[in-house]
Amino acid sequence: MAPIEKALTVYDTYLRSEKGPNMTENVWDNKVVPDAALRIKEKHEIVFGEDLIPTDRDLIDRLFRAGVDMLVSTGIFNVDSGKVINVTEDEVMAAIRNAPKRIQLGANKDMVLLEPRKGNSRRKPIIQGGPTGATVSEDIFVPMFQSYAQEPVVDTIVNGVMATIDGIPSATNTPFEIKAALAEIRAVREACSRAGRPDIAI
Amino acid sequence: MSQLNELKIDNASLSMIAGWLHNGNVIMVEQMPIFGGYIGGIEETAICDVATTLASFTLLNASYHLDGPIHIRWGTTTSRETLQIAGHVAAAIDHNTDLLIANQYYPISGPCTEMCLTEIATQAILDTASGRELMSGCASAKGVLEDHTSGMDARMLGEVAQAAAGMDLGEVNDILQRLLRRYERRFLTAPAGRTFQECYNVRRVTPTKEYLKIYETVVDMLRKQGLDMP
Repeated sequence: MAPIEKALTVYDTYLRSEKGPNMTENVWDNKVVPDAALRIKEKHEIVFGEDLIPTDRDLIDRLFRAGVDMLVSTGIFNVDSGKVINVTEDEVMAAIRNAPKRIQLGANKDMVLLEPRKGNSRRKPIIQGGPTGATVSEDIFVPMFQSYAQEPVVDTIVNGVMATIDGIPSATNTPFEIKAALAEIRAVREACSRAGRPDIAI
Repeated sequence: MSQLNELKIDNASLSMIAGWLHNGNVIMVEQMPIFGGYIGGIEETAICDVATTLASFTLLNASYHLDGPIHIRWGTTTSRETLQIAGHVAAAIDHNTDLLIANQYYPISGPCTEMCLTEIATQAILDTASGRELMSGCASAKGVLEDHTSGMDARMLGEVAQAAAGMDLGEVNDILQRLLRRYERRFLTAPAGRTFQECYNVRRVTPTKEYLKIYETVVDMLRKQGLDMP
């Protein structure tokens, strides 16, 4: 029997970022990444035409292999440890095989399934409605989110940022950021309940 | 959580993932590669985007990956270049894996405008036809103006996705070119649109007659372009 593969976890990522090759962020941003992208583009002969969605199967496959090549030959950089995290192609392929293939989002009658569509399937993608991180005033937060939750084509909700909490800006790295984040969740839940969809995924 | 541009991570993000992993949460990892930034051109950005997507699943325990190629000058996902990157990356991942992939929406114009709804429709057709599983939006007016978002934007996203699902790719590419030409030269003068308070009755949570009329105008235009809109 072949050995059972074990995909990497976030713990492996952390340990590798303690032991990987040293790097500075400036060199990574301005030399390593752009040089690698250009080299791999030429190696795999990646040239797009006019189409926004490619129909050339060979180009599609070469782009995939170029992406694998980029991750394996370059790795990713941990800005806190100042080291590069490297992975092998086998580890990338194991991750692809072990990744979730079916995810339940939401519960009860508000539940939807996130599954592979494969090409332009006749099945509609999941629609995640919301301001996608844009700022929303505190006093209209509930109706703003109700406007998404009440749309029948919306399957799940994506949050926005509550601009203030008790009238005070919810600035990053302040206690008010935490207070606002918790208020956001309560307000989104209230909005979904008002729309008759209390168990929709957020 | 979000990776950092480009192909970077920090310890705070790794720690958050560890917490979610042991809580049994669905983990969405996002990254918005910047076209025209460190990586350079369209093809280079697409290659980096594929690598970034794979990094989410290989190193960060992602359940699904949220993409969002963004234009360095315009700050949008709806430009010709960023749409082409998103379309090619989705096709490459979709043809070669069963990974669950998503995209997010940053139109340059704001709610209650024909331009905003056309931008959303264009990207919705592209994401649906290139095989993505989830679409997240919309951060209208680039997500930088307070209260410039609304549920009607998501209605357009969903109804167009429904209409585009199953369409022939050749026909889709033709429609995309026609729709892009309707707005891509107007980025410099894009309308900020209306706030939620201006385009909805906030107490009743209903869109204004003005917004419904604009929405219907864009739906009629999309039908003429070949979309089977409801």
